[in-house]
Amino acid sequence: MMDILKEAALGSFNSVYSIAIIIIPIMIVMQLMKDYQVLDKATGPFSFLSKIFNTSQESVLPFLVGIIFGLSYGAGVIIQSAKEGNLSKRDLFLITVFLITCHAVFEDTLLFVAVGANGWLLLGVRTLAAFLLTYILSKRIKIEDVSKLEAEDGQELCHNHKQIF
Amino acid sequence: MIVKSVIDGFKKGLETTWMLAKIIVPVFFVVTFLQYTPILGWVAELFKPVMALFNLPGEAAIILVLGNFLNIYAAIGAIKAVDLSALEITTLSMMLSFSHSQLVETAVAKKLGISGFKVVFIRVSLAVVSGIIIGRMGILL
Repeated sequence: MMDILKEAALGSFNSVYSIAIIIIPIMIVMQLMKDYQVLDKATGPFSFLSKIFNTSQESVLPFLVGIIFGLSYGAGVIIQSAKEGNLSKRDLFLITVFLITCHAVFEDTLLFVAVGANGWLLLGVRTLAAFLLTYILSKRIKIEDVSKLEAEDGQELCHNHKQIF
Repeated sequence: MIVKSVIDGFKKGLETTWMLAKIIVPVFFVVTFLQYTPILGWVAELFKPVMALFNLPGEAAIILVLGNFLNIYAAIGAIKAVDLSALEITTLSMMLSFSHSQLVETAVAKKLGISGFKVVFIRVSLAVVSGIIIGRMGILL
């Protein structure tokens, strides 16, 4: 019994420690990026995102914030941009699809690396999947109004799984 | 200014560590104890056929459930507690990085106007497909 307790105590301490040494530096870097608004300045080089998916230039910042800081933080920026009227429904839909697949990439990836996963594989596959999925959807959704599209898809949903989106 | 950012970041890092410690430690204790009872064995036996798809042991089902219903931290606590190979950890991590914290994240995505069904469907499908591919890839290696 004492052995089990000792095993659990040591093991959980090690897990928390290995994660702390990853999380704390990440949080410091992210705080610096937030305070110095690094991402606002970095939207230029990343405008290829809006070109690939044919979304507005304003969509670049929400993409970046979500990819780096995570879904909740990204959602805040998305909602703010949408309120300011900078994002079309199509933009909003595509950003959301990308971000539910791929967000907080550094934090999530390194957490799994801390327990022994192959980080490059995780990061590569996740990013690639998000790009492919969003790209395919961006080709399918040409019209500006996604709500119209959703109504059409509602019927198709019953017939064919491929048609869901 | 930089100093303040570093201090703020450090504090956030500590807060996050504390928050995840509160999740990881109990999960780790429970899973470790379960390993000395027949319960984990029963669960493993029950999920063996499904987990075999991903070339994972039955116990891995617990990790996937924790990750999807709670969060990545809970799953990580369980990954550490169960004895797994590097490939199994990578497969699980791949699946979990696509599909985790479903309750919280689906709620966030719904706020952005996408249906909850689509969110869960996209993420779970990606997790299943990537899990099968990476799990199988290991057999080839």
